[in-house]
Amino acid sequence: MKVTIKSWNAIAQWRWDTGKADQDDADEEDVCGICRVAYEGCCPACKMPGDDCPLIWGECSHIFHMHCLLKWIGTGQSKQLCPMDRRPWVTAERKINPSKSS
Amino acid sequence: MATPAVQSFVEEKWQEAFKNLNRGEPGISGLMTISEAWRIASDFLRPRPLSEPRPRYNAHEIKAAFDMLAHTKLLYTVLENFLDDMHQQEYLIKQEVGEYMSRYEETDDPQVIAELVYRLVDWFNAWHPLAEYEFSSLPSIWRADDQNELSTSLGHIVTDHFTVAFHTHIYSILPPSFSRGFKALVSSTLPISYDDMSDSPSPDTFVWDSFFALGLVERYESLIASVCYEHIEDYIREVCAGQWSERMLADVRLWMDSRMLPWMRLPYARGAKDLNEATKMMSGVKSRFDYHICKVLCDLRTSEIFDIIIDFPDSKPALEDLKECLHRVDQRSILVASLRKANKKRLLHPGADTKDILAQYVSIIKCLRVIDPPGVLLYKVADPIRRYLRDRPDTIRCIVSDLVGDSENGTSLVDDNDPLVPLASRDVEDYTDSTWEPEPIDAGPDFRTNKPGDIISTLVSIYESKDLFVKELQVLLAQRLLNVKDGNYEKERRNIEILKVRFGEAALQVCEVMLRDMTDSRRTDQHVQSQKPSLLHPVIISRHFWPTLQTGTFILPQRLRAIQEDYSREYTAFKPDKKLVWLSHMGSVKIEVELQDRTLEVDVPPVSAAMVELFSERDRWSVDELIAQMGRIDRPSVMKGLLVLVDLGILKEEETDHYKLLEVAEEASADPGASRSAAMDELPGVQTAQQQQAEQMRVFWRFIEGMLTNLGALPLDRIQNMLKFAPGYDRNIEQLGMFMEAARREGMVVAKDGMWRLNR
Repeated sequence: MKVTIKSWNAIAQWRWDTGKADQDDADEEDVCGICRVAYEGCCPACKMPGDDCPLIWGECSHIFHMHCLLKWIGTGQSKQLCPMDRRPWVTAERKINPSKSS
Repeated sequence: MATPAVQSFVEEKWQEAFKNLNRGEPGISGLMTISEAWRIASDFLRPRPLSEPRPRYNAHEIKAAFDMLAHTKLLYTVLENFLDDMHQQEYLIKQEVGEYMSRYEETDDPQVIAELVYRLVDWFNAWHPLAEYEFSSLPSIWRADDQNELSTSLGHIVTDHFTVAFHTHIYSILPPSFSRGFKALVSSTLPISYDDMSDSPSPDTFVWDSFFALGLVERYESLIASVCYEHIEDYIREVCAGQWSERMLADVRLWMDSRMLPWMRLPYARGAKDLNEATKMMSGVKSRFDYHICKVLCDLRTSEIFDIIIDFPDSKPALEDLKECLHRVDQRSILVASLRKANKKRLLHPGADTKDILAQYVSIIKCLRVIDPPGVLLYKVADPIRRYLRDRPDTIRCIVSDLVGDSENGTSLVDDNDPLVPLASRDVEDYTDSTWEPEPIDAGPDFRTNKPGDIISTLVSIYESKDLFVKELQVLLAQRLLNVKDGNYEKERRNIEILKVRFGEAALQVCEVMLRDMTDSRRTDQHVQSQKPSLLHPVIISRHFWPTLQTGTFILPQRLRAIQEDYSREYTAFKPDKKLVWLSHMGSVKIEVELQDRTLEVDVPPVSAAMVELFSERDRWSVDELIAQMGRIDRPSVMKGLLVLVDLGILKEEETDHYKLLEVAEEASADPGASRSAAMDELPGVQTAQQQQAEQMRVFWRFIEGMLTNLGALPLDRIQNMLKFAPGYDRNIEQLGMFMEAARREGMVVAKDGMWRLNR
């Protein structure tokens, strides 16, 4: 018998690459530390998830919705600190990288 | 004994009487003439049996006799004497009536009654004191020569006395069964044929004259009216029953005017000189009968209402008739009661499809709006239906699938012509509305007018909130989107746009994201394909915005996995921050299978595709071996995948759980009797709202289990109160009770005295 695959209609979910090991079915999912909405959701100001409401990665390893963080940084009392650990916020350089997907 | 005074008094009277009678004739010759006149007069008047002919009298002689009696003021005495005689002769009539009645009771033929009536008229004429008199020969005192004398003439007094006495005798003679016969006789004179309007036989005036002569019309007036009523009822039943496609009320009225009225003139407009006068006399009667027409038609339509509603809109004329009748006859509450009863009996039972109930409900809404625009009737009728629908599990699904135009049989609940209106949440009273009308008087205190023409909002308002609908809509949309293969989402997009108007933009935001996921996926796919062509065309979804998809993964064979990984790499190259998580068990694979004698090109679910790969390595596999190879997969999924292949004739079950590849097709293997439907027909594995609920309840069971472990036995309300702290818990105590009851049946808990504890 010879089997040829002609085409394949599949279904996939996208995730942000948060650098963590793949936990496909982990119920505990990561949420933005500011708005408490899942990363794959969108921040309160947005309606469309994904590229319209991207994440922002900090050097300090904390990740937020970009809109949430920018809003925080924009307020006076933030003093440009990461809201989680109070270190100065430095946006991490994303390495195009090799975290091999499964 | 007698005192002289009395003696002289009597003597004086006697002399006076004698003088009066003798009229100053010599001797007693005057007295003799009087007594002769008396004899002639009373013999002339004497009631005789009909068989005995009345002797001929010399008119002059009689006239002279009566004149003489009149002179001596003896006429009243003669009359009294006559009435006494009549009483004595009554037995003659009685006998005959008895004969006729026993004949009638044998034959039941109203004609016998007619004969009896004629016979009685004969008696009446025979005994009439003025019968056979030529007018001129009447004693002058009985005759009214002109109008002035009428009041003083005795003629009509005699006639009146006689008539009353005769009638009294007849009524006392006639047995009770006569009224039955009389009724039959009256109805036999009615115009019989219903349909042919042209020739109305001239009504039988003669029999009616007889009735009047005997005073039967007055006596049996209610009976005659009831004959009319019954006739009208019969006619309406005969002509209107089941005739809903045209208006009948006008036809019935026409029939009434052209057929019934000529007949009714006989009893009700006797003595009218011309048509105008008759019409005037009839006006009261006519409106009474018109009321009766409305009432009968109303009753008829009320009893048919359920079927009329089924036939809507073809039956609209019937509804308009009913509306008009209800204006005259106040039977709205009867209509409501009857429709509620019919609904309960014919609609709201487990045998009826939810779809059918909804369709009928919509028809009811439309029909009752015709009858009663303010909607009071509707409100009263709809209440039980709505309550019933609320208890049905698939109501929402039916409504929603109809909203998105999913109905298979093409009959949509919703008219496309209906204007699109946003679902109004409780309206505030509009005080500037110049067309405002007060609520009808039979409206209950909790009655709310709903704006006409908005059936969707009526359906949606069956439930307290529209969130349930949105949730169900989401599930349905997901199923349909994942099922679309040709990339044409226009229909869904259109539906969502329409629904947005109803449910509001915000509620359907999620659906919007789903649609965008679909288009984004295509764009991404185009890009990836341009970089590195792949057989794989995934739909990439945003998981928080889709209904929960059935989980379950399995290990793909090497070749398939390689394709997936290639694609994932390209995707990550395109969108550096994202990665893909595959739902391998969903979707479909188009494969071409080359076997020794044939080549098949088929669409199969990925599970089956993976199995085909495995079978290409080895000809025989058992189910357990397959499970071992494919990793995390449950048995039903494996069986499903295998069945698809068996249906396609690629595999064959050799013995239980052992499958073999068919390199050469076997005719016998195609077993048409086996009712194995291809799993491909099913919609992809999107969990329905119900399944999601069950899933949630499993989570809450964890909590309950923990509670009962730590605290021992607990009453239901305590459990409920504690569960309220659990995130996302939204059940009420009844639902919890039902769940606990189910758990008890499973043997997981026991209940005693209202306390629940774990069954250990």
